[in-house]
Amino acid sequence: MKALYKKELMQILNSPVGYSVPVAFALFLGYLFIKDVFVVGSASLKPFFSVAPWLLFILIPALSMRSISEEKRANTIEVLMTLPLSEDTIVFSKLLSLLTIISITLGLTLSIPIVLGLISTLYIPEIIVGYIGLLLLSTLYLSFSLYISSRFSNQIASFSISALILFLVTTLSSDFLANLLPKTVQDVLLFGSPILHLDNFIKGIVDLRSLSYFIMLIVLFFKLTVIELKKRS
Amino acid sequence: MIELSHVYKRFGIKLAVSDLSFKAQQGDIIGFLGPNGAGKTTTMRLITGFLKPTEGKVKLFNENPITKRLTVLPRVGYLPENNPLPLDMLVKEYLDFITEVKHEEHIENIIEELHMDDVYEKKIDQLSRGFKQRVGLAAALCGKPDILLLDEPTSGLDPIEQDVIKNLIKKLAKKRIVIFSTHILSEIEDVATRVLIINKGSLLFDGAKPKGKGSVEVLFKKLIKKS
Repeated sequence: MKALYKKELMQILNSPVGYSVPVAFALFLGYLFIKDVFVVGSASLKPFFSVAPWLLFILIPALSMRSISEEKRANTIEVLMTLPLSEDTIVFSKLLSLLTIISITLGLTLSIPIVLGLISTLYIPEIIVGYIGLLLLSTLYLSFSLYISSRFSNQIASFSISALILFLVTTLSSDFLANLLPKTVQDVLLFGSPILHLDNFIKGIVDLRSLSYFIMLIVLFFKLTVIELKKRS
Repeated sequence: MIELSHVYKRFGIKLAVSDLSFKAQQGDIIGFLGPNGAGKTTTMRLITGFLKPTEGKVKLFNENPITKRLTVLPRVGYLPENNPLPLDMLVKEYLDFITEVKHEEHIENIIEELHMDDVYEKKIDQLSRGFKQRVGLAAALCGKPDILLLDEPTSGLDPIEQDVIKNLIKKLAKKRIVIFSTHILSEIEDVATRVLIINKGSLLFDGAKPKGKGSVEVLFKKLIKKS
């Protein structure tokens, strides 16, 4: 598994998307934070945690679109699938390498709470729990995007479909939708919304229901990707 | 060590392989011959477990290559059709990955054997077709496989490079099973000890290579015409 993880990581970092998209993500969030602090006058991390999911639904499909799609297009999947590696190992190594890049990306944004800590008082556990929430949301988005990537041999199709679905999922909990739909429909949609579950983490609460929600969906899409590779049609 | 028994493979309504059965033992150098679209690549993919047969059984070392892939595949070296390679990687990076997965400890011997020292630090994308083919072969040879499956190993190579690959196949075959597919009849005459001829998914001939110059061509044309 280590060998494949290293290879995957190397391939992500060899591509321009691998380093430019995470840096752009961190710079954009940094810019929003500076604007909030120095123009609006708000010294809080809440806006950062609320805006991040709206960028992740683009960032994550962009990073993961080539992961399996490109292997299928270039047929390197045939080499990979005829090496003594289980399908679980292949998917897990790909997921872990992408998660490493996302963790580095989120790590780059740590400068935001550090700067904020210099000019105001921060409650550190709340920030840690918020970052754990973002990491869980990212892993869920990665697991989903990897599954979409396994269904297509065209990386643009993989990116578009993944980003579109993640956009719709992100908007499930938006005020805009809440005003349009009946209350019962809203409640059902809200329960399925990862943003609602992320909100608990942003508030500094480790809610077991939200934790289970993320873990179950991550495992579900991981297993679906493994099943897709096992089809051998 | 390789056993295919009444294997069928369908893609939708298209029957790619039909009632294919054969066995191969150590020392066999099998030339797998057939026109384009005859089912050679599908058969190779069925042997490696990349494809699941619609019907029938494929066994390598008496095991199913799909369900027992972790025990079977370390003993199989495979060069797929068109030699797919990660072009964005260095030769060294790619072969390091393969050697780690296949537990090959002496990659330097393979590099030397294939005369790849000068390209070892180069990006795969920058290599000539011949050297790319050598990278694919080096990957297939890692882990000292007992079975070597080469799908059109000399495709697109110049005559000198074709000779290098042909001599290598002869050398490698002593302790292994080598199956190589081709539609170049002279390659079969030069290298193979046994011939399999396939057309429209069905096996037309399985036997020792016919003796005499041009005899493979005569046999091949006769069988294809008949089918």
